[in-house]
Amino acid sequence: MHGLRRLSALSGGLLPSSRLWIVAFLLPAALMAVLFLYYPLIFIVRMSFTEKDTFLSPGGPLYTITNYLDLTGRYAPNILVTIKLAGLATLVDLAFGFPFAYILIRKVRYRDLVRAIMVFPMFGALYIAFGMRFVLLPGGFLTPILQLLGVEGAQVLYGLPSTVFAMAIFTFPFMVMNIGAALSNLDPMLEEAATCLGARPWQTLARVILPLVRSGVIAGCLVCFGWNVGAFAEPLLLGSLEEQRSLAWTLYQRGVVQLDYGLSATMGVVLLALAFSVNYLSLRYSRGGLVE
Amino acid sequence: MNLARLRRHLADLISHAYIWGCLLIFVTPFLALLSYSFEKVGGVSLVNYEYVFGSFMDNLLTSVRVSGAAVLINLLISLPAAYGLVRYRYPAKGFILSALTLPLYTPAAVLGLSLVLTYNFTYKLTTSIWGLVFAMVVGTFPLMVVPIVVALKDLPQVFEEASLSLGATRWQTYWRIVFPLIGPGISAGILLSFVIVFNEYLVTLFVSPPGVTTAPLRVFNLVRTAGLLNTTAALAATLQIISFIAVLIFFRLFGTRYLKGTYLI
Repeated sequence: MHGLRRLSALSGGLLPSSRLWIVAFLLPAALMAVLFLYYPLIFIVRMSFTEKDTFLSPGGPLYTITNYLDLTGRYAPNILVTIKLAGLATLVDLAFGFPFAYILIRKVRYRDLVRAIMVFPMFGALYIAFGMRFVLLPGGFLTPILQLLGVEGAQVLYGLPSTVFAMAIFTFPFMVMNIGAALSNLDPMLEEAATCLGARPWQTLARVILPLVRSGVIAGCLVCFGWNVGAFAEPLLLGSLEEQRSLAWTLYQRGVVQLDYGLSATMGVVLLALAFSVNYLSLRYSRGGLVE
Repeated sequence: MNLARLRRHLADLISHAYIWGCLLIFVTPFLALLSYSFEKVGGVSLVNYEYVFGSFMDNLLTSVRVSGAAVLINLLISLPAAYGLVRYRYPAKGFILSALTLPLYTPAAVLGLSLVLTYNFTYKLTTSIWGLVFAMVVGTFPLMVVPIVVALKDLPQVFEEASLSLGATRWQTYWRIVFPLIGPGISAGILLSFVIVFNEYLVTLFVSPPGVTTAPLRVFNLVRTAGLLNTTAALAATLQIISFIAVLIFFRLFGTRYLKGTYLI
């Protein structure tokens, strides 16, 4: 008893427990985040309220809200296209990702191999978009197969389908990851019980599986959507002029090419708000935090 | 009886075919790039790869240098941060971790824009390669810190206490006990941030100083301006192969445990 208390007192005193140490451990990371993340983000929020490039004019910036009025007026289609592309890609991910995750968790033993191959889309949307261009061009990699299916490659290139498809490939692993995590917590006995009690497969799916993995499905959809609103290379390389209106690319054009800092910053703020709100919701649906 | 078995086999067959079909679609863009990278007028050749190690060599070296510096700085920041986050009790810990991992949810275009504007108007970092390196560090910080946090949480504190009570100094304890034991977590962090930084083109497009072009940015520029070139395909294929080899080596050594909760499943 006495020894135990001494030991616990000892171990309590072993770690450097003063507040100073905590601050010292966290300071470099905090400094980094403040200097290169929070300050820049606050900076563009402030800049989004200035007119065009008056931020650097000697008389001081001209504060205005015309940028936001522009964005909800003239540039409303850009926001809508961004949301439409991200939404469609998320739906494609869900349609293909749910069966994929189910089979992966319930039937597949070579899961590590699948994981290794699924790493490929993560290397970047740029390679996906570039590769898809090669695939779809006339005389391309898949032309014979596409012709067999009655699709002319050049017709789907530079348009909505190829853009959405590339975006869906890029975020597919996020969907599978979220649904898979929910499914692996689900006891297969529940499905067997439903079958034994006379449920048809679709009844088991609708009444047993779906309600139990709902949070995983929602989290997966939100994460995919959050990634896809920031899509840059896919609309640019695979889309028509319509898809190229997506916010990330327009923001680059206005800000870096045409130097309309105010408007570009406003687009950045809107994009940021979209991504953050969606990801905040997804965190609430996925399971707990990393540190308690 | 036989019919039911046949049906079950058929269902299994379709399931596995579905998985492999999806995986095939995943690698199709890569395979297309690979097959085009070997193409040459009138046959197959490796001549496109001469460009990769010829005129693209500079870009590859820039990429390696930037990735190396970014990963190293990231590691030096993340190790103490993860330790401070796991080993101490204080209020609002979850909030602090969320605040530090926020870059994961920031669209790359927004991060790039905000950084290039502050570099221009406040930090005067536009002509320095360090601006690019710091942008990479802040973007991949969550990927480095999360696996280390996971590994540290798995490591009981008694090892450190034993080491300290046996007379080791704090440094000895970190170097000989803690770091080796959380090695897989650290490696996972290094792998993730390397793979992402090495293939990053979007933030780079915004913040890269004049005259500095990393390999993925070169791919992006060439695809935009020069159209579809076999040499560009060769460069893109090389970058993906290097990344994939890094991932495979890691999977072989450590499995997938420490990649949970991050980008890669």
